[in-house]
Amino acid sequence: MSGASSVARETGARLAAAAPLNATLHWSQELLDAEAARVDAMRTPGPLAALPVAIKDNIVTIEQPTTCASRILEGYVSPYTATAVTRLREAGAMIAAKTNMDEFAMGSSTEHSAFGRVKHPMDPARVPGGSSGGSAALVAAGVVPVALGSETGGSVRQPASFCGVVGMKPSYGRVSRFGLVAFGSSLDCISVFGRSVADAGRVLSVLSGHDPLDATTVDRPPMPVPTPLADLEGLRIGLPREYYPADLDPGVGAALQRTREAIRDLGGEICEVSLPHSPYAVPTYYIVAPAEAAANLARYDGVRYGPRKAGSGGDIHSLYQTTRGEGFGAEVRRRILVGTYVLSAGYYDAYYRKAQQVRALIAEDFRQVFASGVDLLLTPTTPTPAFKAGEKTEDPVSMYLADVFVCAVSLAGLPAVSLPVGRSEGLPVGAQLIAPFFEDQRLLAAAAAIERAVPADAEVR
Amino acid sequence: MSIGRNEVLHVARLAELAVREEELDRLVDQLNRIVDYVAQLDRVPGDRMAAPFLPGPRSADLREDVPGPVPLAQPPAELAPEFADGFFLVPRHGAMEES
Repeated sequence: MSGASSVARETGARLAAAAPLNATLHWSQELLDAEAARVDAMRTPGPLAALPVAIKDNIVTIEQPTTCASRILEGYVSPYTATAVTRLREAGAMIAAKTNMDEFAMGSSTEHSAFGRVKHPMDPARVPGGSSGGSAALVAAGVVPVALGSETGGSVRQPASFCGVVGMKPSYGRVSRFGLVAFGSSLDCISVFGRSVADAGRVLSVLSGHDPLDATTVDRPPMPVPTPLADLEGLRIGLPREYYPADLDPGVGAALQRTREAIRDLGGEICEVSLPHSPYAVPTYYIVAPAEAAANLARYDGVRYGPRKAGSGGDIHSLYQTTRGEGFGAEVRRRILVGTYVLSAGYYDAYYRKAQQVRALIAEDFRQVFASGVDLLLTPTTPTPAFKAGEKTEDPVSMYLADVFVCAVSLAGLPAVSLPVGRSEGLPVGAQLIAPFFEDQRLLAAAAAIERAVPADAEVR
Repeated sequence: MSIGRNEVLHVARLAELAVREEELDRLVDQLNRIVDYVAQLDRVPGDRMAAPFLPGPRSADLREDVPGPVPLAQPPAELAPEFADGFFLVPRHGAMEES
C-alpha cells in the first residue's frame, strides 16, 4: 500500500471513530481512496503531499454535496470546485471530509446546524464554538491535522480557541472566495485550522494568491511559508485595553498573563494601547453581516436553488415564502429578517449607513495603532472557555457576544491568529494575535515563537 | 424603537419568508432585543463619522469599466449538448417551420 493510501485508510478509520462528535456531513472511504490514488499519480508530490484536509460544508466540491448544514441545500451538488480546494489538490493534499457547521455559517456554537449539533471533543456537553465547529473538532480530536473553515465574524478563531487548536484568518483578499458560499461578501474569508502554527502556515501559503475568478483577491504573489522567529527582539506588542475588561473570565485572564510573560522573556516589548471604537464592533457586525446575508440568501427560493415547496396561496410569492420559511432554520430566518429590516426604507440611514461609517472608525483605530509603531496586538480570543450546549440558544444577543473579541478584526479585514495558550479547568484558552493588513507571514512567524514558549496544555489556575 | 407584529410580518413579506403564527410573538421579542442592542451605535457622535469602509484591494471597486473576456468556470461547450462558432445549437422550432 502506498504512503497516500495508508494515510487515507488511517484517516478513514479515525473519521469513523469520531462519528459521535457529529463533526462531518459527508465523507466516504471510497472518495478518500480516490484522493490517495490521485496523489500517487502526481508526477511531483507537492508541498502538502498526502496531507488529509477536512473542508467546511460551505466550500464547494463536485464529488460530495455542499449543504451549508441547511435543509434548503440538502443534497445539492455544485457543478464546479472552489479555487481553495483546487489549490490544495494541486499541492498534493487529500480532501478527507465535508464538515458540519452552523447553518450558512450563522452562529457561534455549531448548534444551529440542520443536521444536529457538533460536540466538543473534550466535553460532549459543551459546544466546540462556531460556525466552523466541525472543522475545529476534527483537528482537536486528531482526526485530521488541518481543516478549512470560513470566517465572516470570527468563525474560525473562536472555535479554534474553544477547541485548543490554531485558527488563522488571513487578510481579506489573500485567499480566493471563489466557491465559498456567500454569507457576508465584504467580510467572508476562507481560513485555516491546524494543530500547529507551522501547519496552518503551510496550508495558507498554498491557498494564498490572486485568483482571476475572485475580483476581491489582491494581485500579489502567494504568501511564502513563514519561518518561525527565534525570538521577539525589536517587536512591540500592544494590549488594547478594551479587550481586557474587569469581568474577563479569570482563567482566560491568567492564560493571557502567562502569554505576556512569555513574550517579554522572548525579548518582545509590551505596551498598552486603545482601540476606542471596539465596543461598537459587535453591534456594527450584527447590522452589516445580516444585511449582506439577506441579499446573498435571496437566491434560495425554490426556483434558483432549493427543494420547491408550493404554498397554499397558489402564486409565486406563496411558493417563495413557503420554501424559505420551511427551508431555513431559526437563526438564519432571524438574520434575514434583521438584515431586511435594516435595509428597508426609513431605516437604511439609521442602521446600515451608520454601521458602515462606524466600521470605518473601527478600521481607522487599528490603522492608527499600527502607524504608531506597534507591530502586533495581543488579546484574548474569547471572553470565556467553551460554554455548555443550550446555554445561549434562547438569547441571540448573548450568543453574539461570544464573538466580542473577534468581530472587529473581520470588519477591518485584518489578519489574525488564535493559538492555544493554556487550560482553565481542563478547557482550552486561546490568545489572539492581530497584524496589519497583509502582514500574514510576519504574524505567523511571531505566533510560532510564542507557540514554542507557551505550553498549550498546562493548567493556568 | 419597538418592532410590532405587523412590522415583522411586513419585513417577512419583503424577505419572501413565511412566518408561522405560533412563532410570531417569540420572533417579535427576539428581533426587538437584537435591534435595541445594535441601536447603541446612536452613541457614536455624528461629527466623527467617516466615509463607508470596504476592505480589500481598491482595484476591486474602482477598476476601469473596460469590457473584456470573463473567464468561465466551465467552457461553454460543456454547458450544452452542441456548441459551435460561439453559438449553442438547438433543435429548429417546429411552430416557426409550419408558419
